[in-house]
Amino acid sequence: MTVYQPNRLDKGGLIDRSTPLDFTFDGKHLTGFAGDTLASALVANGVTLVGRSFKYHRPRGILTAGSEEPNALVELRSGNRREANTKATTTELYYGLEAQSQNRWPSLAFDVMSVNQLFSPIFVAGFYYKTFMWPAKFWEKLYEPAIRRAAGLGRPSGLADPDHYEKAWAHCDVLVVGSGASGLAAALAAGRTGARTILAEEDSRAGGRLLSDQGEIDGVSARDWVEGALAELASLPNVRLMTRTAVFGVYDGGTYGALERVNDHVPVPPRHQVRQRLWRIVAKRCVVAAGAVERPIVFSGNDRPGVMMASAVRTYIDRFAARPGRNLAVFANNDDAWKTVEAAHRAGIGIAAVVDVRKELTQAQRTLAQAAGFPVLNGVIHDVHGGAKGVSGIEVQLASGKRETIAADCLAMSGGWNPAVGLSSHHRGRPKWREDIAAFVPGDDIPAGMVVAGAANGAFSLDACLREGHEAGAAAAAGSGGRKAAGNAAVAANPDDALSIAPVWHVEGKHKAFVDFQHDVTASDVALAQREGFESVEHLKRYTTLGMATDQGKNSNVTGLAIMAEVSGRSIPQTGTTIYRPPQVPVAIGALAGHNRDEKFHAARQAPSNHWAAERGAPFVDTGLWKRAQWYPLPGENDWLTSVNREVVTVRNGVGFCDVSTLGKIDVMGPDAGTFLDRVYINLFSTLAVGKARYGLMLRDDGIVMDDGTTSRLAEDHYFMTTTTAKAGPVMQYLEYCRQVLWPELDVQLTSCTDQWATFSVAGPKSRDLLRNIVDPAEDLSNEGFPFMGVREVPLRGGMYARLFRISFSGEMAFEISVPARYGDALARNLMIAGEPFGVIPYGTEALGVMRIEKGHVAGPELNGTTTADDLGLGKMASKKKDFVGRVMATREALVAPDRQVVVGIKPVDKARRLRSGAHIIPKGAIVGPDTDQGYVTSVCHSPMLGQWVGLGLVERGRERFGEIVRAHDPLRGEDYDVEICNPVFYDPEGGRQRG
Amino acid sequence: MAEFVWHAVSPLQHSFTPGRMGETADAAGVRMAEIRNFNLVQIFARRGQWSAVAKAAKAHFGVEAPTRPQAVSGKAGVLLWSGPDQLSALTARRGDEIRPLDALRDRFAGIASLSDQSDGRCLLRISGARARDMLAKVSSVDLDAAVFPVGAAAATAIDHTAANLWREADAADGSPVFKLLVFSSFADSLWDTLVDAAAEYGIEVESPAGL
Amino acid sequence: MRIACPFCGERENGEFTYLGDAKPQRPAMVALDAGVGASGEQEAFYDYVYLRDNVAGEMSEYWYHGGGCRSWLVVQRNTMTHEISSVKAAAGTGAAAVKASARS
Ligand SMILES: [Zn+2]
Repeated sequence: MTVYQPNRLDKGGLIDRSTPLDFTFDGKHLTGFAGDTLASALVANGVTLVGRSFKYHRPRGILTAGSEEPNALVELRSGNRREANTKATTTELYYGLEAQSQNRWPSLAFDVMSVNQLFSPIFVAGFYYKTFMWPAKFWEKLYEPAIRRAAGLGRPSGLADPDHYEKAWAHCDVLVVGSGASGLAAALAAGRTGARTILAEEDSRAGGRLLSDQGEIDGVSARDWVEGALAELASLPNVRLMTRTAVFGVYDGGTYGALERVNDHVPVPPRHQVRQRLWRIVAKRCVVAAGAVERPIVFSGNDRPGVMMASAVRTYIDRFAARPGRNLAVFANNDDAWKTVEAAHRAGIGIAAVVDVRKELTQAQRTLAQAAGFPVLNGVIHDVHGGAKGVSGIEVQLASGKRETIAADCLAMSGGWNPAVGLSSHHRGRPKWREDIAAFVPGDDIPAGMVVAGAANGAFSLDACLREGHEAGAAAAAGSGGRKAAGNAAVAANPDDALSIAPVWHVEGKHKAFVDFQHDVTASDVALAQREGFESVEHLKRYTTLGMATDQGKNSNVTGLAIMAEVSGRSIPQTGTTIYRPPQVPVAIGALAGHNRDEKFHAARQAPSNHWAAERGAPFVDTGLWKRAQWYPLPGENDWLTSVNREVVTVRNGVGFCDVSTLGKIDVMGPDAGTFLDRVYINLFSTLAVGKARYGLMLRDDGIVMDDGTTSRLAEDHYFMTTTTAKAGPVMQYLEYCRQVLWPELDVQLTSCTDQWATFSVAGPKSRDLLRNIVDPAEDLSNEGFPFMGVREVPLRGGMYARLFRISFSGEMAFEISVPARYGDALARNLMIAGEPFGVIPYGTEALGVMRIEKGHVAGPELNGTTTADDLGLGKMASKKKDFVGRVMATREALVAPDRQVVVGIKPVDKARRLRSGAHIIPKGAIVGPDTDQGYVTSVCHSPMLGQWVGLGLVERGRERFGEIVRAHDPLRGEDYDVEICNPVFYDPEGGRQRG
Repeated sequence: MAEFVWHAVSPLQHSFTPGRMGETADAAGVRMAEIRNFNLVQIFARRGQWSAVAKAAKAHFGVEAPTRPQAVSGKAGVLLWSGPDQLSALTARRGDEIRPLDALRDRFAGIASLSDQSDGRCLLRISGARARDMLAKVSSVDLDAAVFPVGAAAATAIDHTAANLWREADAADGSPVFKLLVFSSFADSLWDTLVDAAAEYGIEVESPAGL
Repeated sequence: MRIACPFCGERENGEFTYLGDAKPQRPAMVALDAGVGASGEQEAFYDYVYLRDNVAGEMSEYWYHGGGCRSWLVVQRNTMTHEISSVKAAAGTGAAAVKASARS
């Protein structure tokens, strides 16, 4: 259903009239053409009202034709792909596009909240700070919901984004940002030298202003020159053109952030493709040719739909063949706006009048006015007449003092141009003011390796842009990877004069005059901020919210500070700019996350028996990066506690095994390995016999426990260290620090071998019986032949070898058996076979945890970065014969104070009661408070052996208080109950079971 | 008691089946294969012994030991730079060999510490016309043909996980060939990441091969 | 930020882990023949563990190339500009023999 486009020009434009694209805006069916943006298609369809403003719900139209757009924000798409605050000006039109206007209720044309305008005296600068200060509790329930209903922008979809995003790296010698005249010239110069060049353009099409402006370069039209330049760039294998790619930030060391909108121009990304890609571009040099942004003039009614930037009017006419009006008025303070007059006249659009603040006109301007027959008025706009749907006329305040009203349906305004100084200021650089063009240009402190060219540098003539771009590109290439000549710069036919401008920022008028359209900041808000003492631009910004909307004030900041300069009686350079920070354009969080979301949030580690465990229906739990089997349900077991209880009881009475491959494993090798371990552990390891294991405890240099684990001596110069699962990485990094930084004189080598070994703990009174079935029968596994803490390599039946360790975490007789990891799956299956006569079961991390708590073994919740060796009951391990890390600081007064919180057992007085970790320990009869808080419960479990919940805790003077009844106070869960402090070893306190 | 059977299981055993993945409209832009049956030994020179280690490595493997990030290929396998004064010796595994250190111990006695990593790593071969585009999504290393020539190697990180990446001789069709060595426990997860990165180019997952 | 590892070349900072000021020197390990340490130990360790300058400008820092060659590096970095003026390997990174007394 192709709809007639009333404001589409018959010819011209970079659109494909043979490819009509149907779309809807607020449910209304419209048609545009391939090559349109949503904004240009709306213009072609005569749609002027596209949204309501943030605070006052004022009707707003399309202001610009680029990424600086503050007004024409829409909700694009629907359902879970609905995206709020999408700029119509940068949204490429596609077939079936759905867009909704924002911030209006019940409809765009009739908006109830526009009554906010009547209350506008209270919506002034600092309104939030003044109105909703007190009482604080009103915020959540009253103020915030009311403000959110009344003010705001688009609605998020509230659903998970179904599309994919990714991140990628690119490397080059020269990055050119922007593909207008300067950018193309720079890319050509750099590309010809052979330098690896990336040309990034945020638009779907390279060319910049050359797509909208007339001109002649090297004897051909600007557009033909663009085509030629692109063809030459395409022929250079060292040049990469990246369109739809906005460089949004300059980071340290020549790293640039860029967002590629890979598939924003289609309704749904093709299968296997991402919607957006976040680039990190590493460039030796960067040419910023990002152009300039035309700025509005602040006058009464300047936000009315139908008031548009002069350059945007020109873009809609020349690039998109769409007519923003039929009877155009122009308000200008500079020559550039006259190009819009020419373009409109060429396109057959009536010119109602040109209002120019400057008295003197050029000969060309006078000739044009005469030929086209429009009046040129020396003056300013006093007011804009019209309604929500557009402009009906302008009221001009003439320099002569008279007022004149002129009918017009569109007003093009131009207050001059602001060079895009964002990127060049991202390293805290301060732009400097240039009086001749009344604009800020990049200062002297731009990021290293960067050069700014063309309009971004304040060079507004086509000729200067081409020259500066060429020179910058050639220099950047010469300073990086360029080897060949850069060729000649392109030359424009008619070198323009410098921009003639008579800066006018603000015109006094009848009604509201807007500075920041998106945040509804008016000229009087700026003046009010000044009167109330918020003169600094940083204060002005925060007090009025000027420049804090999604457009980040691209077309309002300079005007705002210029008005501040006026009212405060300072110069513009004295007033200065706010700090520029990335991102230069909005970047979706999804793009920043890239691949890493949902279950791919981080890379996951799989233990060797996980596939086998999954076959048995085990659920998996995240422990650090690892996926570990939590328990192994049997048919008929419907809750986790049943399974875990069974696993514990089976291990304690028979035998079970658990995959403990996740423990960190480090080969500590070399002649000084023993000395090295003596220094990092509090206990001695140099004296450990080959074939023996020892439990070791490491401190940090501040005397607090870092990690623990069992370390074995496999050979004179080879120790095999284990760490906790959680600390494997940090401990390795720390040990490398010790080796490389602290004690380089030690001859010791470290290699992580965590992934090399599949390790299973085989535990229970029948563990030795099981092993006798699988270990070569020639091996003596008796208590004498393989005593507690023994270690050795043993052959396994069927042609395998294993490292066997007689160590126990469960408190039962237990072994750890390791085979090369590729045989971990087979080992699990073979342990099932070998243990079948004894009723062997696999057990998961839950049962492992239960058994360690029953035995009072400390783990992560107790090794929590606040505890000393003595707090854990391990103080006696510290050797007196040698120095070790943490020795000195561990003796500090507070670390040996008698009232420290130490590890104890906790059991509920009511045996049926469930314990919860995190509950605070409060003495009986005391009032709950920080001064009566004596510790907390760290770990809890249901102990099937004791038939009740038990736990460990850290409690003041705990070891002296066994038998004392205290309160477990748990405000988080609203619980408060009595518990008994007890010995942390609940099960087999004599330890006979593990020694067999 | 029945005899025990020891089946080796790769960390990627269940991660893929050979064939096409991702986009299938055109010829696969990326080819991925798991390389199995290799031995990998970390050779870490002791203090003051690097030149002795380099000499012993040359004698044993028949290739120069790299002293900077490189992978030197020879008949016996690949000597991969894996850190200052450290090598990873990658060789083909003979049969069910499970103790690769035994053959090296005498040669390096007293001059290097050896650690068997044969099961600690998973090895992938990534090739194809779009291999570089795909790797650019997971690696911050500049893999441009001139910057990262054949034989160049990098100890780097992929999805925050340590990995070794090196370039081997180009394929017959001129497309680049990369080898990627990752930790075994991460292999399944990283495989998934690599497939996601390559999906738009079309992937040919090849059958697992030997070194 | 990018750090030029003396072994691996220039890499992005995600491959590195920051530790902090490289200036403080850990007091040397001592022999405990008598079973106790020397007097003044705690003061020396207090300085080493806790006292840090808040440098605005050039600073030497420890960085660990954990996502690469696992070397500890001493990086001269300007904390105001993030400019890196030099990167050196820590004394014990490779296999070079280092005498205890020769440590810098
Ligand atoms: Zn490195």
